[in-house]
Amino acid sequence: MSEIALKGLTKRFDDGTLAVEDLNLEIGDGELMILVGPSGCGKTTALRMIAGLEEISDGELWIDGELVNDFPPKHRDIAMVFQNYALYPHMTVRQNMSFGLEQAKVDKDEIARKVKETAEILDLTEHLDRRPGQLSGGQRQRVAMGRAIVRDPKAFLMDEPLSNLDAKLRTQMRTELARIQNQLGTTTVYVTHDQIEAMTLGDRVAVMRRGILQQVASPRELYEQPANLFVAGFMGSPAINLLTAQVESDTLRSPLGDVALDRRLRDALEHGDRTDRVIIGLRPEHLQDAALTERMPDGTVTFSGEVSVLEAMGAEYYAHFDLGDQTSVSEAIDPSHDAEGDPVGRRHGNDLVARLPINSDVHEGNSIKLWFEPGHLHVFDPESGRRLTEAKA
Amino acid sequence: MSATSATLGRTPPRRRSLLRQAMPGIAWWAICGLVALMFLFPLAMVVLTVLKTSSEAAATPPHYLPQHLSGQNFRALSNADIWKYVINSAGVALGTVVGTVIVATLAGYGFARYRFPGRTLLFLGSLMTLMVPFQALLTPLYSVLVFLHLANSLIGLTLVYITFQLPFSLFVMRNAFAEIPQEIEDAAAMDGASTLATLRRVMVPVAKPAVVTVALFAFFSAWNEFLAALIFLSDQSRYTLPVFLTTLVTGKLGAINWGLLEAGVVVTIVPCLVIFLLLQRYYVRGLMSGAVR
Repeated sequence: MSEIALKGLTKRFDDGTLAVEDLNLEIGDGELMILVGPSGCGKTTALRMIAGLEEISDGELWIDGELVNDFPPKHRDIAMVFQNYALYPHMTVRQNMSFGLEQAKVDKDEIARKVKETAEILDLTEHLDRRPGQLSGGQRQRVAMGRAIVRDPKAFLMDEPLSNLDAKLRTQMRTELARIQNQLGTTTVYVTHDQIEAMTLGDRVAVMRRGILQQVASPRELYEQPANLFVAGFMGSPAINLLTAQVESDTLRSPLGDVALDRRLRDALEHGDRTDRVIIGLRPEHLQDAALTERMPDGTVTFSGEVSVLEAMGAEYYAHFDLGDQTSVSEAIDPSHDAEGDPVGRRHGNDLVARLPINSDVHEGNSIKLWFEPGHLHVFDPESGRRLTEAKA
Repeated sequence: MSATSATLGRTPPRRRSLLRQAMPGIAWWAICGLVALMFLFPLAMVVLTVLKTSSEAAATPPHYLPQHLSGQNFRALSNADIWKYVINSAGVALGTVVGTVIVATLAGYGFARYRFPGRTLLFLGSLMTLMVPFQALLTPLYSVLVFLHLANSLIGLTLVYITFQLPFSLFVMRNAFAEIPQEIEDAAAMDGASTLATLRRVMVPVAKPAVVTVALFAFFSAWNEFLAALIFLSDQSRYTLPVFLTTLVTGKLGAINWGLLEAGVVVTIVPCLVIFLLLQRYYVRGLMSGAVR
């Protein structure tokens, strides 16, 4: 077990591409740190720099109090689980798991004991003499984990280890992975583009975009207090509703209705670069069905909208409302305009979504009355994308 | 993209079924049988000729089936000390296999994995030597071997064979290594393996079909090669099998001893056939490498 510290870590490729820029991150002993972001955000490059598979252009990498910038991978004592598992296809499960220990010249009996123990933890005992080609996706994934665990390294690095599994198995393995990491208490850096994985697995989550770290915080803090528009849009499914709003004396005029400026909102506006226009963010679960509410709290904002699309999710509805063009968020800061493969809900700026309980009397094409508490509004600077408000949870 | 591949994926079965409709199963069997016969007939004739006596083998018109089975041709071959030439050929062929596999593996790995200035140019340059006729290089190569004091030696001949095998072998090995996902090599690095250990314990075993293909090609070409051996070897005791056979076949007044010649051909064919049958599953996979992802 050990601590990992990234100090100003930068990766510049030969063609001049800046993949990671001035990354500062401290990962505590036994912590599970998630690096999350859309494709091309630099998270895998950062992981490969920690692994020693990618040269560090600038900055310092410390593992267990030792500067390891120039150490080859084998001298860093860390294990990695790859996205496609990268098992040795010509070796059995047992040989795959033994390989690292053999390279470290560990005694044969000791190798056999460790492989047996690890196989038991991962429920692989009966597959030890099979080759990867004879295993299912889930079993291969466990072998890849086993190959890392058996070495008892200072840290695990995991590069989207669940992305090749089907949805059901992914959920199952996610739980399994959390259990194993908890049991072993090994420092882990886990890369994913799946925000659900990030939210459910991580002790802390580092959100990256275009090579730059956006925010590091606990999953809950990231969700409730996103540092900027990108983080707000990236975390949460369905994605947060982002709308433009005008500031007029004591009122915030939004497409959802006028919101009286209270002290919190007034303070927020004072911190912004502009005083006339802001972007407001509202999570879909903070929009409530008025028909199901007996008594609305004071100061709530109500509005009516026609349901354009209704998605029945089983336990709840995602109701979409078309708000017209007036509300689009600028492309420069809209997270839905990121690199290809960006898992951010690709919602247009004129689309509003509400998560409503399954007992809501809601139908496509019908109008419905919704309300929200202004305390749930996030206010963002339209120029920098910075969050200006301290949001109510 | 997916729509395109789906359409492409569906086309071949449709075409196959149309062909099948147009031609009944028995016609397929007939065509395949005919093609097989075309290839197998000469082989059958070789074997049948070996079993004939000299006079029967030279008879006009020829008999297809031997009237008296005879081991006379094999006995004559044995008396002519054929095993010495088999050993010469085997030594040259195995030397070519080992040399070609080692050099092509190391160079193929280098071309596939390392980035260095002039990489593409060097690779294309080595492939271009495939386009130069073999015969055109024999004289300069002979001069080189004389300079190295390796003319009229089996080691010199082996080096020449390795030289001619390398462009194709390099191409196969480079493609095979390039096809192995980088992550497998990264995983070995993370497991603490050195470059040499990664190559020996991971990359080469994974690329085994390509290695077998290269080895088979090297063996076959060295075992069967005639012209270079004829030119480079002047001492009869160092002759390889194909060259030795030419010294055997001519009888009185230039008549060809067909039975003896075909017995020599059988001795030449058998090792190739055995090796090919043993390793053909790797061989096919090696040739296919890079063709389909």
